[in-house]
Amino acid sequence: MNSFEAIGLLFALLAATTVLGLVLRARQGRVAHVFGDVITPADVAATVAFGPAATLLQFSTELCARCPGTRRLLRAVAEQRPGVVHVEVDLTNRPDLAKRYAVLQTPTTLILDGAGRVQARVGGAPTRADIGTTLDSIARNTTSSSTLGSSHV
Amino acid sequence: MSKTPRARLDPRGPRFGAGLTAVLLLLVVFMSLTGASAAALALLAAITALFAWGALAGAGRHPYGALFKKFVRPRLAPPTELEDAAPPTFAQGVGLAVTLVGLILGLAGVPGAVGIAAAAAFVAAFLNAVFDYCLGCQIYLLLLRSGVLNRGGRAAQNV
Repeated sequence: MNSFEAIGLLFALLAATTVLGLVLRARQGRVAHVFGDVITPADVAATVAFGPAATLLQFSTELCARCPGTRRLLRAVAEQRPGVVHVEVDLTNRPDLAKRYAVLQTPTTLILDGAGRVQARVGGAPTRADIGTTLDSIARNTTSSSTLGSSHV
Repeated sequence: MSKTPRARLDPRGPRFGAGLTAVLLLLVVFMSLTGASAAALALLAAITALFAWGALAGAGRHPYGALFKKFVRPRLAPPTELEDAAPPTFAQGVGLAVTLVGLILGLAGVPGAVGIAAAAAFVAAFLNAVFDYCLGCQIYLLLLRSGVLNRGGRAAQNV
């Protein structure tokens, strides 16, 4: 292969990697609204009680570059909001939990409502604003259903 | 955990090193495409040795880290936070695995092995340097899930 063709291929490799990086960056921290199962502290071997308003359930490993930053962010959010608790689960010794909750990247954060039901899922490091918006909408739903006096808890 | 306190790094150090590695790997791809096989193999061997250094001595003791501290960090603002050295060290190990396979297959005469391994390692190094995305760290979770790293025998740590 001559040098021109080789340089062309190098540019193709560079371009493909840049596109991959942009896609990964765009997907980082995106909040997906789901209506999932109810999770209890015992399910994830957590020693603290979940929040009465909402729980930020973060899955991490020992070797995760962005988990500490996400921990700080979610902790700060939980401290500011009454009834919201941050719980971190280390998957290093519990790969079974990674399989059960289909965790393919760390950090992954599940946002649970007051009943422990999964309402949203965030892959990668979230932003403070997105977490706030999601918690607001969970709080709104909880209030509206309680003012309607729904009996099905 | 009964581990010694881990080294903490300026997170820009490993990214700087990944940038240098990415440039060198691109050079290996170029040389293997243009038929300079011996030179490509030699440079890949050097990169593999550097990955081994980082993986065994820790990302904080990598030669590129010394370059970063001497020439780059004095020109930058102080880091906003330090990070654990363990994730970049593990990523160095992933880089070592990829380049070592390429090196062995290249020595065994498998055509294209050097270029393909260098291109694969380039993708990871470039994502790390430019996008601050640690591909090796994500592979750790996948290895845990697949049971390759069997650590499930220990009692679960309280979080």
